[in-house]
This record gives sequence, C-alpha cells and structure tokens, in this order.
Amino acid sequence: MRSWVPLAIVLVWGGVAIVAPLLPLDPDRIELSSILAGPSAHHWLGFDELGRSIGDRLIIGARTSFVVAVCVVSATLLVGSAIGIGAAYWGGWIDRFVVWAIDLVLAFPGLLLAIVLAGMLGPGIDNVVLALSCVGWVGYARLARAQVLMLKHREHVVAARALGATPTRIMWQHLLPLISAPLLVEASFGVAGVIVGEAGLSFLGLGVQPPSASWGSMIRDGTRYMLVAPHVVLAPGLALMLVVLAVNLLGDQLRDWLDVKTKTVIKA
Amino acid sequence: MMLYLLRRLAAVIPIMFGLACLVFFLLHLIPGDPVEVMLGEAAHPAEKEALRRALGLHLPLHTQLWHYVQGLVMFDFGTSIFSGRPILDILLERLPATIELGVAALAVAVMMAVPFGVLAAVRHKTVIDFGAMGFSLLGMSIPNFWLGPLLILIGAVWLGWFPVSGREGWRSLILPALTLGVSMAAILSRMVRSSLLEVIREDYIRTARAKGLAEWTVIVRHGLRTALLPVLTLLGLQLGALLSGAVITETIFAWPGIGSLTVEAIQRRDYPVVQAAVLWISFLYVVVNAFTDVLYAWLDPRVRTEESP
Amino acid sequence: MKVVNTRVWIVWLSVLGASVLVFGCRDVPSQSDAIRVGVTHVPDHFDPRDATDAISSRINRLLYDRLVDLDEHAQPVPALATWEQRTPLQYRFVLRAPRPTFHDGSPLTAWDVKATYESVLDPARLSPHRSTLELIRRIEVSRDDVIDFVLDHPDPLFPHYLVIGILPANLIARGHDFRRKPVGSGPFRLERWIDDTRVRLIRRSDGQRIDIVRVPDPTVRALKLLAGELDIVQNDLPPELVAYLAEDDRLRIMRHHGTNFSYLGFHLQDPVTGQREIRQAIAHAIDREGIIHFVLKDGARLANAVFPPEHWAGHPALNGYPYDPDRARALLTQAGYSPTRPVRITYKTSSDPFRLRLATILQQQLAAVGIDVAIHSHDWGTFYGDIKAGRFQMFSLAWVGVKTPDIFRYAFHSQSVPPHGANRGRLNDARVDALIEQAERAKTLQEKQAVYRTLQAVLLESLPYVPLWYEDHVAIVRREIVGYRLASDGNYDGLRSVRRRGITTRSLDRESTASEERHAIGTMRRQ
Repeated sequence: MRSWVPLAIVLVWGGVAIVAPLLPLDPDRIELSSILAGPSAHHWLGFDELGRSIGDRLIIGARTSFVVAVCVVSATLLVGSAIGIGAAYWGGWIDRFVVWAIDLVLAFPGLLLAIVLAGMLGPGIDNVVLALSCVGWVGYARLARAQVLMLKHREHVVAARALGATPTRIMWQHLLPLISAPLLVEASFGVAGVIVGEAGLSFLGLGVQPPSASWGSMIRDGTRYMLVAPHVVLAPGLALMLVVLAVNLLGDQLRDWLDVKTKTVIKA
Repeated sequence: MMLYLLRRLAAVIPIMFGLACLVFFLLHLIPGDPVEVMLGEAAHPAEKEALRRALGLHLPLHTQLWHYVQGLVMFDFGTSIFSGRPILDILLERLPATIELGVAALAVAVMMAVPFGVLAAVRHKTVIDFGAMGFSLLGMSIPNFWLGPLLILIGAVWLGWFPVSGREGWRSLILPALTLGVSMAAILSRMVRSSLLEVIREDYIRTARAKGLAEWTVIVRHGLRTALLPVLTLLGLQLGALLSGAVITETIFAWPGIGSLTVEAIQRRDYPVVQAAVLWISFLYVVVNAFTDVLYAWLDPRVRTEESP
Repeated sequence: MKVVNTRVWIVWLSVLGASVLVFGCRDVPSQSDAIRVGVTHVPDHFDPRDATDAISSRINRLLYDRLVDLDEHAQPVPALATWEQRTPLQYRFVLRAPRPTFHDGSPLTAWDVKATYESVLDPARLSPHRSTLELIRRIEVSRDDVIDFVLDHPDPLFPHYLVIGILPANLIARGHDFRRKPVGSGPFRLERWIDDTRVRLIRRSDGQRIDIVRVPDPTVRALKLLAGELDIVQNDLPPELVAYLAEDDRLRIMRHHGTNFSYLGFHLQDPVTGQREIRQAIAHAIDREGIIHFVLKDGARLANAVFPPEHWAGHPALNGYPYDPDRARALLTQAGYSPTRPVRITYKTSSDPFRLRLATILQQQLAAVGIDVAIHSHDWGTFYGDIKAGRFQMFSLAWVGVKTPDIFRYAFHSQSVPPHGANRGRLNDARVDALIEQAERAKTLQEKQAVYRTLQAVLLESLPYVPLWYEDHVAIVRREIVGYRLASDGNYDGLRSVRRRGITTRSLDRESTASEERHAIGTMRRQ
C-alpha cells in the first residue's frame, strides 16, 4: 500500500467527523415502509431496521466514533503514561501501590464497572468515554512503567540526576522522548479496541442513546438482522475495518519513522 | 527462584482483598434490589422485609462486608439468592466450561499467530507481510458479536460441520474457540512479528547468519525462541481477558461459562453470585499472571534483577 | 542462551499439550430422539409455590397438576377438581376420578392439596403467592377427595386463585427440596438438569424426552432451528426473523392471538406528564397501526385496555385513540405548548433491542407533533428499580400473563403505590379507587364484569397508561414435529401431545394412559 493512503483515510475520517453536522443529512428520519430495504438509487447503502438511511447514519456515526476514539485514547494515553512513568521513577511504595492498582483493574471485569457507571451517571456519550478510560489507562501505565524501569539506570538519566535536574525535567526531557514511540504505537492499536468497546457498552445501555448513531451501535444492531438483511451490517463494518487498518498502518509507519532514535532502547 | 515465586504469590492476597471490597461496594452502589426482583411487586412490604432479613440485606453495609469477608476467609461464598444453591456448586459446574473455552481459544490464537507473525517478520515489507498483518487487523476490528453468528452461519448451517451452539462434545468447542481466538490471534501475531523483527537485528543472529546457516534455520532455531519470550507475558494477560471477556461469545454460543453467569446475576442483582464469580475470575487471572511472571523470570534471569528495587 | 532456549520450548510445548488434553478427552454424547425446545433462559428452580416468572410457570404446568385452570376467557374450569360454592364463605372442591399419581407412585389426595396451600400460607416460607391467598381462613379435608376452603371474607373470584401446582404432603412435611428435585403429578417428570443451560423432561405416558435448551441469542435460536438442533421455538424472536423463517419449507409457523399487554406508562404527579391533554396528545400522535404493520409484521392487535375483549372482564367495544397528529397538536396548543415551547419528556426503557427500537420510533412520531423526547436506556435491573422508585416521566413495559382483575387494584389504586403495589405512575383518582372497590365488593361475576368494564372505559379516558397492543404468540416448529398446539396464554401444554414423526413411542402403561386422557379432556375443554 502506498505510504500516504493510511494517512489519507484517517484524514478523511477526521474531516468527515468535523463537517458531518454541516452536511444536508437526515440520519434520524424514520420511514417505516422502507424498513431493512436494500440499496436504491438515492440511498446507495439501503435502510436500517427502522427505515433510516444507512449512508446518512454512517457519516454521522463517523463523528461519534471519532470523538470517542480521540477522547478515550488521548485521555488514557496521558493519564496512563503519567502514572506509569511516575511509579517507575519514584519506585518504593508509590510503585507498589500503582502496580497493585493496575493489577486490580486488569483483574476486575470491566463489564461490571460499566454497569455501575451507567447506573450512577446515566447513559450518554460522555459516560462512554469515562467508562472506557477507567479501564483503558492501565495498558499505557504498564507499558510506560516497564520502559522507564529499563531506562532509569541508563547513563544519561543517572548523569542528569547527578547534575541536579528536577524529577519533572528528567521525566519530561530524558525519559518521555525515549518511551513515546512504543506508547504511541500502542495507542494506535488502542483505537480499534475503543471503537469496538463503544459498541459493547451501548449493548449494556451505557452507549450513545437513540437516535444518535455510532459505528459500533450500527454494527451491533445490524448483526441482529444478519440473516434477513446482511447489507445493514456491511457498510459500518467495512468502514470500521478500513479505519482500523489505516490507523494501525499509520502506527507502523510512525514506529519506523521513530526507529532511528529508539533502536537502542528496544534492544535493552 | 523460590523466594521470587513466594513473593509473587504473596502479592496475590492484597489484590484479592482489594477486589473483594471493590466488587462489594460497586454492587451496592447500583440501583436495584434482589428482593424486588425475586418477590415481584405483589408481595407485602412485610414479606419483603422478612426476606431482606433472611438474606441479611437489612444490616448496615459495613456489617454485611464484614460477614462477607469472614465467609471468604472460610471459603464460604454463600448461596444464590434466586436458586438457593450453594455458589461453590454453581461455580464448579461452570468452571470447566470456562477453562475449556479459554484454553481452546488460546490454542487457536497461538496456532494462528505464530506462523502468521513469523511469516510477516521474515518477509518483512512484502505482500506476505501486508497480507498477514491485514488479516490481523481484520481480526482486531471484527466484533465478536458479528464474527460469532457469521461463523455459525458458515460452519454450522451451510457446511453443517459443527453444531450451532451448546456444549456437547469437542465439535461444539470449535466455533466459539475460533470466535474468541481470532481477535486474540490478531494482537498476538503483531506481537510475534514485531518481537521477531527486533530479535533478527541482534548480534547473535547476525553471527548465525554470517556462519552461513540457512535463513529459516536461523529464524526458527535462534530468533523465534527469544522472540516468544515477551509474547508469553502478553499471553498471560490475554488469558485473563479470555476468562472475563468471553461474555458475548458465551452468550452467542449458549456456552455455560462463568462470564454469562456473571451477566445474568448482575441483571438480577444476585449479589452473592456476582461477588463470587467476579472473585473467581479475578483470582484465576491473578494466579495465571503471577505464574507467567515467575515462568518469565525462570526463562529470562535478567527480569529478576530488573524488578528488585 | 542454550538453557533459555530449551526452557522456552518446554513451556510452549506444555501450553499446546495442555490444550490438546483439555479438549481431546471429551466424550461425545449419543444421538438422542429428544424433542428440543429453545428458550431464552431456563428456570432457576421448579417449586410452584415460589415461581413468579413466565417460563417457570409454563414448565411447572407440565410437572404439576392444579385444582383449577383458566380458559381463554380467563374463566376458571375444572382441572384436578370440580367445585361448588356452598356458602359465600365456603367452597368445596372434589377431586375428579381417576386421580393422578405423583412421580414417586403415590396417589394424589385431598391431603396433598391441603398441605400445599398451607405451606403457601406459611409466613415463614415467604411465598410470593401468599398475599392473594391470605383470605383463606382454614382448609378442611373430609374425605380423600374432598377439600373445603373456608374464607375470611367473600370473594367470587376465589376459584381463580387456585392455580398453584399440588405437591405431595409427605414430602412437604419432610422439607423436600422441590426447587431442585420437583415431585408432582403432572404429565412430565424432570429427568435431569444438564448444568444451568439445559433441562430434560420425560413424558410419563410414553417416555418421550423433551429438552428445554437455553439459547439466549435470537439469531442463534433461529439458526439452531434451521440446522435441526432445535425443534420448537416459541416467542422471543424479532418479527423479521419470524418472517425469514416462515419462508423455509422445513419449518412451520403457528400463531395465536396473545394477551400480553404492552403500554406506555406515565408519572402522573409530574408537571408535564401529569397533564391529561399531553397524554392524550401522545396517544393520538402514535401510529400504532403503522408500527404493528411494518415493525411487528402484523404480529399483534391493537389494545385499548389491560384485558383483551375476549377476557370475561374485558370491554367488548372501547373507542381508542386513532392516529391523528393534527388532533395531537391541537391538544398540545390547548395545554399551552407550541413549536417554540415544545413539551420535553424523558422516556426510560430497558436496553432490550426491541424496546429500544420501539422507543426510537415513538421518539420520532412524537417529535412530529412537537414533543421532544429524550431516551434513556438502562440494563434491566436499573430500569426496573427506577420505574418502581418513580424516577421516570414515561416508560414502556408489558403486563405478561395477567388473568385476574386484581391487577386493577394492584396497578391503579391510590394505595398501591410501590412498595405496596404496582401503581408506579402514582395515579390518585377517587373515581378509579371507588370503581375498584365497588368491583371487589360485588357479589356476582356479572356485577363485577359490569363494573370492570366501566373502570376500563374510565381508565382509557383518564389515560394513566397509553395502551399499545397485545402481541401474538408465535411458535416455529420443524415439520417432522407433529401434535404441537399453541395455547392462548403461550404456555407449553402443547408438549403433552407433541411427537416426532416416524418415531414409534414405547407401549403405554395403563396408569399413565388414564392420566393422559384426563389431561386431554382438560385441554379440549379449553379449546
């Protein structure tokens, strides 16, 4: 695949997400007589289980999925790495506590946490972001911690400390640049998990509320009509795959691009 | 080595305690009441009160927690509010199915991921690499609730090779294990690939190559063994995800595992069952990971020195 | 490095070896001629004294016999016993011959009936059915087949309440665990539980096995029918899937008018939904016929009251609210709302896909007349808890299996606000209360019928619920399965006569033939 294609797909996705509200779309219009109707000249992708245009919903859904993906991945990446770096750098009881908390969250079924959040906060897109973030940060924290543990006895870090650099400065200037590559790559893989995870949460009543569309909920609803009207699940499914593919290839490209600097790190 | 093992296992105890408290409080935070679900609204308030007393739900929360933790120490999980059966029985009935599915999915994942990952790494930046990774991404982006019915349609209804759902004989295990294993294989094969790519650059591989050994011998004899080390840790983590995350797959295939038990119990607010099921899942997870860590340390002595503060 | 490499291989080989071991050693069960019925979940237990949900009571009907059955008009008809009202406070039930035997071989007597009802009334047992039966003062047995019920106060509906399965007295006395090991006199006995997902019943007359199989996912239930892994699936399938299956010539579709009442409920103390004009506007704004035709695929009929017209207490000719958006807009204007000042309502629903789909359609239809609806969906436990606590403006639910008119007190009387009943909308209407009490005091069924009809007309007018429809019962049966009948309340009694074509059944023994015949009579009477 040409190297610019993944970037182009992601940009189109983001672009559609931004301009979607301005387009002349009618994603919530219900036409009972065209329930599950197949593609037609005006509606290339056909209609869903409520007689709504799948094409229109796909575009609006791109926005929801984009927002959720960007919010969750950036929030978890920031919080998770900060916790991981801090824990590894300071060590001692802080580190033990963080490891304990990570193990706790990893071992705890995320589903239960999601139902509790739904019960306490009520459903909605912001709570989806919250629920996914509550579970998502541990991956980055683990990774960041492991990386820093390997790096903190390196000559340049020890030297910086000996020269009296503040912990913040050491973490920011000497550690973060070295571990950001694996973290970013991990984040690019996380995007797929978040989009699919959002669908799972709508399943529990925590997701986007009707009539809003998201790719995840479109796939989930479409699956129920797989036997009767396979076209319903196809469009959002392919869209999701394309985006996941693009984001991951982008992650690979990012890694290759950063590789010059990080080769020595990974070797350790 | 023994000391490391003991230390790692000792760490399990505070985690289990934290989990027990966490699940207890979370459950009591959510709205809903098992007594209402069980008796229905027709029952007299007095009867509801009596049942609440019989179940010990009228006590203050901290007292309930105390009783609960006391019970746990004695390995007493209580009885289900709804069926009235001892929870240990219910769990022991479901546990084999859960472990069976988990291990089978793991096997599917490993058998798919290792060849794919190796191929992709060896033929780095070729059509094979793109193909293998494309497949991996496909696996990552297909939700279980789509893949499951799709596999049933193809494997059970069209081809008729496997039963649609249920747990009867090894044939019925194939489709759910595939459903669960594919997404895991996707993640795993990427890990194998990148890990192998790193190893191939190492000096000793270059040495082996320089000695004139055949490329495949180098990869399999020298590269793969080292490359699979980090994959092992990921495997431990994934097995945990398999144990608790199989809910959707279990529901689709009507697989009598612990995941679907937990969801049903949550919906009916069968507190003791949820608490026990969550603890069991978590316990398995924690133990498997402790074991993986120890194994890792045994395989790669460098880890032990790294981890000691 | 050498050591490390060897160790890595040891680990990988043992992982694979373990997995081969785990699923290599499973025995494959032999093919069986059992008839398999797909359900969403299997009951937790089989004690009829504690059962409240639909699936439990349907299966308990197969395991146990009861004194009285309710026919299609919800009128009591003799099952185990015929009865006469000797005084307003005394009913005599006489067990019909031949009396059935329990699964353990002992005959069913009046003493068993007495013991069963006394254990239901035992406050220590906490039976959910106790409150309906509390009017029983004492139960007397004068002969092996005669039971007298003496009541506290007169209630012409008393025979309607005696539908609980009869358990053997000696086992009750011993504290037998009926929940796990049911012993009744019904046409089936429980052979075994196969984990929590399958229950195997044996028909006593001919040894036919019936497997009740849990298959939670509707698509998978349909696929299992197609693949021949299930023989019968009844209800709980999306209408589209039913239409899809109807086209397969290996399957047969059976339909029957249902009585399960779907409705929209409102909080009546709420400043918005408490206004009758708004509720009426909602009733006019909903295109119920369109939804029934396009979404339910004509698998339902319009409802105007809790009871359908054929119910003895049902109203034969109520005038409902036709689909009339203009009228809805006019009503809203009358209530002081306008497009610039729209009505805003929160609609709570469970996250069940069909309920959610319905909510989305209603949201759009209401938006068309100027009512702005926000949908909040929750998991069942949270949703149900919220509804009972009165944390809602509007919700949708269905009454399932309601047959006796005590539902009116339970759902609409001002004293039945939860936790005392199911008046979740907090209706407080003196006229409704008075009618409910008047009907309860009425001495004869005819008198009651008249009052209940008036009451339902009043309820339709004041509109604490917007009635939607009664969903049909649908059974999908494989063609090689014959003799299945669909009952009006969706019970599984058809399993008594079902068999697989081409399979000869074992020779009948005399005792169970008699019992089977009696069941056949009971079934015929209800047709």
